[in-house]
Amino acid sequence: MTQSLALKAGEARVRLGARGITRRFGALTANDQIDFSARPGTIHAIVGGNGAGKSTLMRILQGMDQPDEGSIIVNDSAVTLSGPAEAFRLGIGMVHQEFMLVNQLTMLENLILAREPVSSLGVIDRAAALKAGQDLAERAGVTLNWHQRVQDAPVHARQILEILRLLYRGADVLILDEPTAVLAPQQIRDLLVLLQRLRDDGRTILFISHKLGEVMAISDDITVIRTGRVITSGPADETSKAQLAVQMTGEMVRAVTPRRAREGDTVLSITGLGLTDGRGIRRLSGIDLSVAAGEIVALAGISGNGQDELVEAITGLSSISEGNVALRYHDVTGMSLHQRRALGLAYLSPDRAHEGLCLEASITDNVIAGHHRRAEFLASGLLRLKAIRAHAEAQLDRFGVRRDSAALPVSSLSGGNQQRVAIARELDGSPALLIACQPTRGVDIHGIAAIHQCLLEYRDAGGAVLLVSEELEEIMTLADRITVLFNGAVRGTLRRGEADVESIGRLMLGEDA
Amino acid sequence: MAMPSTNPATYTGFSALKLIGTALLPFALALVVAGVVLAMAGHNPFDVYRLLALESFGSSKRIAATMAAATPLIFTGLGTAVAFRAGAFNVGVEGCVSIGGLAAAYVGFTFVTLPAALLLPFAMLAAALAGLAWMIIPGLLKARLDADEVVTTLMMNFIAVAIATWLVNGPLLAVGSANSATPMVAEAARLPRLMRGSTLNAGFLIALICVLLYWLWGKRTALGFETRLAGMSPRFATATGMNVPRLVLKMMLLSGALGGIAGGTHALGNVYRYVDGFSPGYGFVGIAVALLGRGNAWGILMAAILFGALSTSGATIQLFSDVPIEIVDILQGMVMIFAVARFGALGRKAA
Repeated sequence: MTQSLALKAGEARVRLGARGITRRFGALTANDQIDFSARPGTIHAIVGGNGAGKSTLMRILQGMDQPDEGSIIVNDSAVTLSGPAEAFRLGIGMVHQEFMLVNQLTMLENLILAREPVSSLGVIDRAAALKAGQDLAERAGVTLNWHQRVQDAPVHARQILEILRLLYRGADVLILDEPTAVLAPQQIRDLLVLLQRLRDDGRTILFISHKLGEVMAISDDITVIRTGRVITSGPADETSKAQLAVQMTGEMVRAVTPRRAREGDTVLSITGLGLTDGRGIRRLSGIDLSVAAGEIVALAGISGNGQDELVEAITGLSSISEGNVALRYHDVTGMSLHQRRALGLAYLSPDRAHEGLCLEASITDNVIAGHHRRAEFLASGLLRLKAIRAHAEAQLDRFGVRRDSAALPVSSLSGGNQQRVAIARELDGSPALLIACQPTRGVDIHGIAAIHQCLLEYRDAGGAVLLVSEELEEIMTLADRITVLFNGAVRGTLRRGEADVESIGRLMLGEDA
Repeated sequence: MAMPSTNPATYTGFSALKLIGTALLPFALALVVAGVVLAMAGHNPFDVYRLLALESFGSSKRIAATMAAATPLIFTGLGTAVAFRAGAFNVGVEGCVSIGGLAAAYVGFTFVTLPAALLLPFAMLAAALAGLAWMIIPGLLKARLDADEVVTTLMMNFIAVAIATWLVNGPLLAVGSANSATPMVAEAARLPRLMRGSTLNAGFLIALICVLLYWLWGKRTALGFETRLAGMSPRFATATGMNVPRLVLKMMLLSGALGGIAGGTHALGNVYRYVDGFSPGYGFVGIAVALLGRGNAWGILMAAILFGALSTSGATIQLFSDVPIEIVDILQGMVMIFAVARFGALGRKAA
């Protein structure tokens, strides 16, 4: 493999790059004259907020999309990529944000999928496959349980598998799209070490991120893009985190200043909650949790440690095995989501595209859904469309949703504005409790600040918030108390002030704070 | 970055012009393909099409015949569309047509002493309720156990026709009749004719009212709003507090009721009894009508009239030319195939 790497990389000065790449979608220019050069054997970071044009550029570099102008540079010469297969032939592979693995197969089967080592009888040579897998893992300095099914494997193992699979297939240029989004702090550190090791082996890594700490920690070169244009491109040691932040956003972003609100009555109270799923697996056990009015309680944890199940238990989307859920002193354990909403529950879904919003429906429909049977909107069985439209417009203005027309489908909005539509709906009618799951996922840095402000204003007006987030920074910014889930149980609870990233990180991994 | 969907067909489809475009395109393509078939068979396609047009819209009598043929298709098209709107692919309207027709005929020949003002509504109500009841089992299976409604409703069709056949050969067989039919319904149970010398009857007016109600339901009612959202995204509808399984069940039942009414108007307006082989596939053509009409009230009306025209002109074209009746079947099949295709996808791929 080392030899083929040398052949591919040759003595090129640019292993992968872009020259004047422009891509337009209608009136929108997603990529505008993009230039960058990733030198062989380096980690090159592409930094930008949401909507900066990173994903479009990655699709082009993968051959999944064609630029309107400009060209891709591979080993110093311009090439046209017809598709991911062609990119792969040139040694370029990508790890997508959403993993492309077959959940029902084992880690090893996923590794060799479509490139199976075959014995002379035409049968898959499992011994050879295992050896190849172990060799790769050893060289990368990681250990994996090769016989585990992917669906049972932890997220960081799946990510490592995705990377090893690219190596197995002979890629020496790895494109990683926001690879740390799903990892705990310690795992992030491990991944960064792995990437540096691969770089030192002579591979070229394109690291797409908006987390400036990580970018500064491992990159050799950094390219910042904003609104489709390259703002700057150069060695990492000539810039700083602060400078990058300014370049990324175009201005200094005002940090959210949290205020300490006076706590009120208990709004949500969970006692002894447990859940055993249909396959007999224990998902949640012995959870006690309460949220008071005027308080933000954050639920931290590596994804897959019971957050989803707990949220479904609180919202009533699924039933529980034991314990109680009370909302404003009403026992709601057996109630439907509809009944719980009537008692003041609001639920901001983590899955904006499929649950938080109905992308095909209009913006107005998305704002009004669930409120449409209020007396002001429904007269003798018929919807009062005028009143509905007026109310939707007022809500959209209140939450600063930038739009052409509220009659357009909500999918026509940017990620940040979509999320504001969902928040506008959920905070309508002043609910007592907001379950806010991943409220800023896929939202750019301005959007994040605005959404945080919404949550804080709601809290300061006496609202109770249960915040579920994978962004530790977000939790540290907003939460009055932080409860860490590990393996379906509460691992620890920290108050604002006594919580730091390190101690939360230890709790997330099941250790003691 | 997340690109907004660039499929214009889906989102700007609210304008009437666009709707006509998407509904007519499959028909135009079908005409072209069938034209090639005709030409290869030695016929001049333009002559054949002119003849078809004349036979379906050439005179007030022919127009009345087309509307009469469209009547059951309007009901079955709407019936299929309400289930589609809720996200249930109900192909069981055909069975409801049979069950509804049988129920209407039974009331019509049993309670013969009632005056028309009571008997006719009673018979129509029986048809609607029978169709509704026929959808309870697949509806509950879908709502409670998430059983695939395509399979269950398709199977229910065979059961419906078999039960009706058994009944008209046994308990409900007309005395002295040998041809698997119920007795004729009372005069008072018959839907009044709208035009002398035509089978066009008051059922067509009921169908138009249903189109209007369907439009109102989709545009202005809370239930229609909820059904639309539940059909597009069940998870979203659930998360905003809607009871999606119950909505699906309701729409399956409504779908069955409309199928029953289709059978009722056919029994009380055309055949005046239930006979074996009662429905020539009204329920199945209704699926094509709902698809071609894109679930839109006026689209469904247009599509039903189109299929009605094809069936009336097909019936008489053989009398005036040597064109085989199968060419009409080919045309119908082609329209259905192209109606299912989503032409918006072409534009999306190119973008």
